[in-house]
Amino acid sequence: MLKAIRDRIRAKFEDYTTTTIEIVASATIGLIVGAIILYMFGYDVIRCYSIVFTKGVRDINYLLTKASPIMMTGLAFTIPMIAGVFNIGGEGQLYVGALTSILVAYYTHNILLAATTGALAGAGIGALIALLKVYRGVNEVITAIMLNWTLYYIVLYLITNIYYDPTIPHQSIPVPEDARIGYIASPWGSIRATFFIGVVLALIAYYVLYYTKLGYLLRVSGLSPRSAKYAGFDPNKAIIYSMILGGAFAGIGGALLTLGYVPYIDTTMSIVFGQGFTGIGVALLGRNNPIGIIFSSIFFSVLIIGGQMMELLTGAPPELADVLTGVIVISLALPYAYRMMISYVRTRRMIQ
Amino acid sequence: MNPRASAVEMKNIVKIYPDGTIALRGVNFNVMKGEIHGLLGENGAGKTTLMRILYGEIKPTRGEVRVFGKKVSFRGPWDAIRHGIGMVYQHFTLIPAFTVLENLYLSLSAIEKVSLSDVEERVKNLMEKTGLKVPLDAVIEDLPVGLQQRTEILKALLRNAKILILDEPTSVLTPIEVKELFNILRKLKDMGITIIFITHKLKEVKEITDRITVLRKGKVVETVNTHEVTEVDLAKMMVGREVFLKIEKSPPKIGKKVLVIEDLWVKDDRGLDAVKGISLELHEGEILGIAGVQGNGQKELAEALAGIRPIIKGRVLVYGKDITHLSTAERYRLGLAYVPDSRTIGLIYDMTVTENSVLTNLSTVLSKLMRILWDRARSVASKIVNEFSVIIPSYDSPVRYLSGGNQQKLMVGREIIREPKIFIISEPTHGLDVNATEFIRKLLIKLRDRGKAILLISTDLDEILQLSDRIAVIYEGKIMAVGRPEEFTLERLGLLMGGVRA
Repeated sequence: MLKAIRDRIRAKFEDYTTTTIEIVASATIGLIVGAIILYMFGYDVIRCYSIVFTKGVRDINYLLTKASPIMMTGLAFTIPMIAGVFNIGGEGQLYVGALTSILVAYYTHNILLAATTGALAGAGIGALIALLKVYRGVNEVITAIMLNWTLYYIVLYLITNIYYDPTIPHQSIPVPEDARIGYIASPWGSIRATFFIGVVLALIAYYVLYYTKLGYLLRVSGLSPRSAKYAGFDPNKAIIYSMILGGAFAGIGGALLTLGYVPYIDTTMSIVFGQGFTGIGVALLGRNNPIGIIFSSIFFSVLIIGGQMMELLTGAPPELADVLTGVIVISLALPYAYRMMISYVRTRRMIQ
Repeated sequence: MNPRASAVEMKNIVKIYPDGTIALRGVNFNVMKGEIHGLLGENGAGKTTLMRILYGEIKPTRGEVRVFGKKVSFRGPWDAIRHGIGMVYQHFTLIPAFTVLENLYLSLSAIEKVSLSDVEERVKNLMEKTGLKVPLDAVIEDLPVGLQQRTEILKALLRNAKILILDEPTSVLTPIEVKELFNILRKLKDMGITIIFITHKLKEVKEITDRITVLRKGKVVETVNTHEVTEVDLAKMMVGREVFLKIEKSPPKIGKKVLVIEDLWVKDDRGLDAVKGISLELHEGEILGIAGVQGNGQKELAEALAGIRPIIKGRVLVYGKDITHLSTAERYRLGLAYVPDSRTIGLIYDMTVTENSVLTNLSTVLSKLMRILWDRARSVASKIVNEFSVIIPSYDSPVRYLSGGNQQKLMVGREIIREPKIFIISEPTHGLDVNATEFIRKLLIKLRDRGKAILLISTDLDEILQLSDRIAVIYEGKIMAVGRPEEFTLERLGLLMGGVRA
């Protein structure tokens, strides 16, 4: 199997190289545009960037713990994308996963059960979106957007009215101490296991997509539903399976967040809000590849933490950090233009 | 008008597409005023590219275009239209839900200010002059293809086209409609309109044109006067060598009855009946050819047999077993194979050669735990590649980088190595060069001789006549006649395909 992987890498070496160059180039362009914006707002660009990239990576544990949930929501976007479905419901799926695992952990003190039920809850939401698409022809984007807000308010209602902490009423009941994800010792200090769980899950996602019948079905259906039908697959099943998987990953993202980072949800919802949407950026930067997503989630985590530090130390508005990530995601579209230019130059050269 | 003056001069045209494909390598093309000029070549020779350049749709990488002696550089089709060039595409650009008049008004109002009644009057005059009669109030989608095409021609003429480009105009027509089209073209020629006729059909080009330019692989082979050459000469120019249209084949050894189709009804994508009560039988060791003009229910028939399209009424039996309600995967497992008419369905262009090699037989490379054994898939791929001499850059290259012929070999080869008993194959040689065509046709004969049952669906009459042991003619979803090839003359086939019982 190692040999097979080596052969594959060799055959696709050129692809991999160009992809890497493209990603580095788009990140660079994003940083340059960000620098211009910082400069226009009158901040010291060098100081801001040095804060982002030194303070952002100073605490490895914090960095990786922050990266885990968005790695999961990145996968929640990628897996359906590969099957040709646009899952922007990762946000709502994560809320449900987070609350479910808090509740299960609170009542059972069992981490595994809490994480699993969190995944199942997310998967259920994913399945609902998929079923509406397949059997009722409802566009998945519309369902997902509406569900995101519906679930936001349902979760908010539940934590303010039913499952609130009697001692701190603006918070939900907490995940008990004995049901929290622990630390693993490493050369960089002890690191919370959530990150490693995330990496293992991302590798499993990669394995499923590229080494199993299910993954093949998803990829074929995503690239060409008519070919899938011809091959005797049902593209509708691919939609449903991929959304179940995607929802499960978002749900696990919620579980990792509450079991391994902040053990409760407060009534501002700030701990869960935006994790699903950030996942879309993570997935795009990771080129819809589970392994790429591992790295892009860490990169996003640097930007998020560094951005907070920048805000704290220089007084730059937090939106600037968001602008930075936004610009990077947009500049991902540039490789296409770049490829067009290359082929244009090549054409010119061939004539002479 | 001076008949010697040139209408179109294209000098040293080079076209290289952004992906590096060289479509034209220095083409010189001249058309005289008032002639019907044939542009002949195989699929992929560059005919359409050359005409799209003339029509301003794409820009040449290098070269000069002159229209009526004036150097031009079109920014788009609208420029070309202003210079008196009109184009009739193979696929019409009409709005199906509009009437003929509305369509004409729409196209004319794009370039000048007119009222509907103005257009009506002008069209009536034009129809009087040219004999191009079309019911103006009829909705386009209700009209037969021949009349839709006339509407397209009217559209071009209304915009004062002096040069009319027709891209494969006969490919969608029945023989009778072709005859009518030719009459119209002759009349237009008498009116002084220059016509460029793109085709790959030898007989037609010989019948209708004054001069012919033959293109091969992006280069002009020769421009000749039509009356000075024979069809055989043209064929030689077109393919670069003698075409051996005869394929050696022994008499069929007919075996057991394999496939029985009873009163089959199938609907098309729009929900209209496309197959209307077809009954057929197919035996081991025979090729049954389904002849017909494109769009007469062939695709729906094939897809219904493969289980991709639901069967509304009727039964399909394989070795006496009713498979009407089985899924596609179950039918494949029973020994049925289907090669679709389009490679974009049969192959996934963004997947690798190896991944495509197991599309329809994935179960053979799965472990018990549904894991794909890529080593085994790779050996399936190499078996196809070696057995059918498919040329590939590597097993991990996306299929998109293979040439059309090699893609076709991969797609057909994949089905053959599954050792199916029944082979449903649509347009097996569509868009292939002569070598690849011969390869695939010989392969089908070989399969037949090994006792396979083959249902060959093709719009290429030569192919049907060469390969079939029996021929069934399909027209509007019904079988017009079934019989041995000797029972059909070309004329009779043509009539049957056009819906005339003969």
